[in-house]
Amino acid sequence: MTSSPTLIALAAATSWFLVFFFAHVGGLRAGSENARWLLISYAACFLGAVVTAILLTAWHHGMQAVILAAMMAALTSACLFALYVPALYAVLTSLSVQTMMLLRHRGGALPEAELYDRFASRKIMEQRLATLLASGYVAPDGRSYRLTHRGRAIAKFFRPIKILWNLGPGG
Amino acid sequence: MKAICLASAMTVVLLALITFCFRLCPSAHRARQMLFVYLFCLAVLVALWFATPDDLGLLGRSLLTEPAWLDLAAMLFFFSAGFFGGALQLYNLCDRGFSLRILIDLLEAPIGAVDVDYLTANYSSGRGLVWMYRKRIDDIVAARFIDQVNKRIVLTAKGAMFADLFIHAHRVLGLEPPH
Repeated sequence: MTSSPTLIALAAATSWFLVFFFAHVGGLRAGSENARWLLISYAACFLGAVVTAILLTAWHHGMQAVILAAMMAALTSACLFALYVPALYAVLTSLSVQTMMLLRHRGGALPEAELYDRFASRKIMEQRLATLLASGYVAPDGRSYRLTHRGRAIAKFFRPIKILWNLGPGG
Repeated sequence: MKAICLASAMTVVLLALITFCFRLCPSAHRARQMLFVYLFCLAVLVALWFATPDDLGLLGRSLLTEPAWLDLAAMLFFFSAGFFGGALQLYNLCDRGFSLRILIDLLEAPIGAVDVDYLTANYSSGRGLVWMYRKRIDDIVAARFIDQVNKRIVLTAKGAMFADLFIHAHRVLGLEPPH
């Protein structure tokens, strides 16, 4: 029995996504910088998925079915990535998640003041600014910080969405 | 290809409906509001899939997915990923993104460069970091991951289960959980 082009595309995208997952986790464990390694490993596996789907489909079904297989593989891979990234960043950066992990590590209970001291203090702002600095979104200006072009572009892109969706300052 | 066409079109409708709801029917529980819109759109999408021909009246034979159930499954996956990985995350980022809010505060600062103390005190247009953390504590209390007892924060059984999951994920990623 020959698989349909869509099935080939879904199988190729899923298999390559698993390769990406293990490559990404392996890279993180080896000490690679997360955001850069995430993009590099995903881009390689995305290409792998599309090329695999195209080659297998062309072999089994001929060239006329290649467009369908390529689009299905690309979209499936992109959707898996779109689901993976928020889950990853929730684990890595969410203050709510970090609060729960800290509580678990410290026997399940802590004074409110200690949590506020840790997660609502100048220190947490310094840590986040260091991340933004390393990512090129802010630049030092003496003891202060200013936006880089990249940081300004991000802020200007999201601010109208917040206004459109009536979200208020948020944060 | 029918799956891609219908899921893409319905994602545009979903975003338009979410915008409409946020502007005309503001709610304190926006994520829940979004989920209702998603479920409504999902039901309409399934109905549309059954009501329309396989080729949508315009697709060539080489662009038709076989078997048909696979097309339906792919459409549901694409649309759901568009919501949970796209629209809902966009909302989370805009409404709760800590780093994004810092960038916007810097953009809105009266002078070009500001220091850490200014950003700490004026986070989120002057609300401050204590407000930011209070919001997160309130949310995880509402989700019953933690309780507040006599000025102490206590992990619930549900919270402990999820915390173990996150600690395990940190270890898989080769990171040290906070302690």
